[in-house]
Amino acid sequence: MTDLPVVGFVALSAALFAIGLFGILTRRNFILILIAIEIAMNAAILNFVYFGAFSGGTGGLTGQAIAVVLIGFAATEVAVGLAIVLALNRLKGTINVAQATDLKL
Amino acid sequence: MYGWAFLVPLFSVLAFAIVGLAGTRVRRLEWGGWVAVAFSGAAMVVGVLIGVGEMVNPGTYTDVRYTWLHVAPAPGPFPNGFSLVVGTLVDPISALMLIVVTVVGFLVMLYSIGYMHQDRGLPRYYAELSLFLAAMSGLVLSDNLLEFFLFWELVGVCSYFLIGFYYEKPSAASAAKEAFIVTRVGDIMFLLGIFLYFYNYSQVGPGGGWAASGFLFTNGSAPFLGAALGGNSTLLTVAGIMILGGAAGKSAQFPLHVWLPDAMEGPTTVSALIHAATMVAAGVYLLAVTSLFLGFTSTDQLAIVGIGGFTAFFAATMAVVHPDIKRVIAYSTISQLGYMVMAVGAGFAMVGLFHLFTHAFFKALLFLAAGSVIHAVGTQDLFKMGGLRKPMRLTAIAFAVGGLALAGIPPFAGFWSKDDILAAVYSQVGSHPAYWPFFLLAFAAVFLTAYYIFRAWFLAFSGEHPRDPGLPHAHEGPWVMQVPLVLLSALAIGAGLLVFIPGFQSLLTAPTLLGAGVGGIPPVYGTTDLLLSAASVALGVGGIGLAWLLWGNGRVYVLAETSAAQPMRRLLLNRYYFKIGYDWIGAKGVYSVARAADFVDRFVIDGTVHGFERAFAIVSDRLRRIQSGLVSDYAAYVVAGLIALFVILLIVAPYVVSKLGGG
Repeated sequence: MTDLPVVGFVALSAALFAIGLFGILTRRNFILILIAIEIAMNAAILNFVYFGAFSGGTGGLTGQAIAVVLIGFAATEVAVGLAIVLALNRLKGTINVAQATDLKL
Repeated sequence: MYGWAFLVPLFSVLAFAIVGLAGTRVRRLEWGGWVAVAFSGAAMVVGVLIGVGEMVNPGTYTDVRYTWLHVAPAPGPFPNGFSLVVGTLVDPISALMLIVVTVVGFLVMLYSIGYMHQDRGLPRYYAELSLFLAAMSGLVLSDNLLEFFLFWELVGVCSYFLIGFYYEKPSAASAAKEAFIVTRVGDIMFLLGIFLYFYNYSQVGPGGGWAASGFLFTNGSAPFLGAALGGNSTLLTVAGIMILGGAAGKSAQFPLHVWLPDAMEGPTTVSALIHAATMVAAGVYLLAVTSLFLGFTSTDQLAIVGIGGFTAFFAATMAVVHPDIKRVIAYSTISQLGYMVMAVGAGFAMVGLFHLFTHAFFKALLFLAAGSVIHAVGTQDLFKMGGLRKPMRLTAIAFAVGGLALAGIPPFAGFWSKDDILAAVYSQVGSHPAYWPFFLLAFAAVFLTAYYIFRAWFLAFSGEHPRDPGLPHAHEGPWVMQVPLVLLSALAIGAGLLVFIPGFQSLLTAPTLLGAGVGGIPPVYGTTDLLLSAASVALGVGGIGLAWLLWGNGRVYVLAETSAAQPMRRLLLNRYYFKIGYDWIGAKGVYSVARAADFVDRFVIDGTVHGFERAFAIVSDRLRRIQSGLVSDYAAYVVAGLIALFVILLIVAPYVVSKLGGG
């Protein structure tokens, strides 16, 4: 794998991140936004894995270890996010974020 | 004993405080009047005692003073430092003035009890009148020019209050404003004059001259003599002209004379006080004090003689045709003040003050007599009156005595002092030919004076019955109004003869002798030029005779109404259009400046402030719309910020660094 060009991997994770960002900015459904956030986050995690592998030695292991921890973080984050979705649904009867604009002036 | 001189203003201030603070809480309104009468009586006792004491020990200077502010010697404009002091100075001049102020003040106060008893706002009246007296006696006792100026302003504001006493009347309110604004022009000049004198005397003389001693009139037990110190003569000339301007404002001299006739809007008692003892006397007193202590240059003297002599004639002409009894007397005051100013200008300050002394009594008498008439018939129009001598015998006699004194008929008071002035100025025309025209004007004014005051007398008192049958039945006032008339009549007859009493004469000669460095002219008392006296008495008698011919026995001289004299009459009644001219200056000149200032204030200064305010309002209103509450919008801003950060860090910053030469 180390003979593959690094720019291809970076382009992959950049594309993933852009897809996630696009989802965050354009979706109005809270759950879809959460999914988009997960996509963007996975793009970041992917970076750890292959930059670790490219650095050689024990770097590959270090990258994978960080990736596993970050997957755990992503799970907790989704748990919090879904809790907010539930609370929002109870409050507004919808999970459309365009309806949740109470904090503006 | 002279240390107690401060009691004179203090008594009046106490009356002011008591009547002013408690007056409205007492149901009986005359109560405040009697308090004021009692305090002014006490002030009169102290004032006259001081005057008598100064007559017994002539030429003493008693200066009781306290340092108010002391500036230590230090390098700079005043290397010797200076002090500002407050204090009382009893000297022959202030003793003379103190007698005038307290006696006339007391009599006017007593008369007010009868004259004013139907008016509303009496506590205000008595409080203001007391403050007026306090300010004037404080001014007279001031021992330095700065303190003098403070009391001077206080006198001005009191006259404003009292002229505008009937403030519901628009004419009274505007007359009060006029008096205040016109005299203010003079006040500014006076202040400039003080500064110029102070600057000059701080630069010359031993020990820093005037700067070291403050603005003091005295130098220990003798007067401070500025003329002996000299200095920059141009500066001194300008300073003298400024002092003349201040005095012209206060003493209603041409061209600042316009306010005094309008000041008739106040109660007659106030007119009596303003015209006799306070306010207008302050201007002449200022000139006399400046002349004796600081000295005028010859240019100043010519200017002062010119203003005085011209005003004496100019004001007399306006009195000739006026139908209002009070205004006739008002013009006569301006005219008589012109005589005093002329005497001071010619170097005879004490002769001028002697005329001020006698004039105060007969002018107060004339005003109080006129007040009795107005009180009785309720009008000031001479052409409605007539035949009043029968129901008002005392008033008729009192007015006649005042008129004879004003006309300069011996042995009445005005004769001695007016003749002294004419003789004094005449003694100078030889060496100062430029005085001639002004001397002749003043001399001619003697005739006019006698004519107009007796025209008023004949119109009011002679004949069989009033010309206007609608007038109420006339009667004399109560005793409080009659007693001052009798006392002032006695003074109007006898005050001039006082000059033959050695003690009184020493009041007049002492300051001139002490201040021998000033002008060095010996005083003239008791006339020395019999021909001149005879001529002026003849003019006076001629004026009275003409008045009798035209207006005696209830006649009304109708020629002026119909003939070619009409344009002249209109010119005089319109006061040579001076008031209209000044109003025009005020309406066009000053108002345009005020409009320009208003424009700058409103659009330039306020415009800048409001412009900033509006700009911030607009910007913040736009910025506010960013806060939509939409999560995805905020996310977009975060992304935008992130991109901006990348652009700056990766593109702009390296570019700038490379331009600066690689850091």
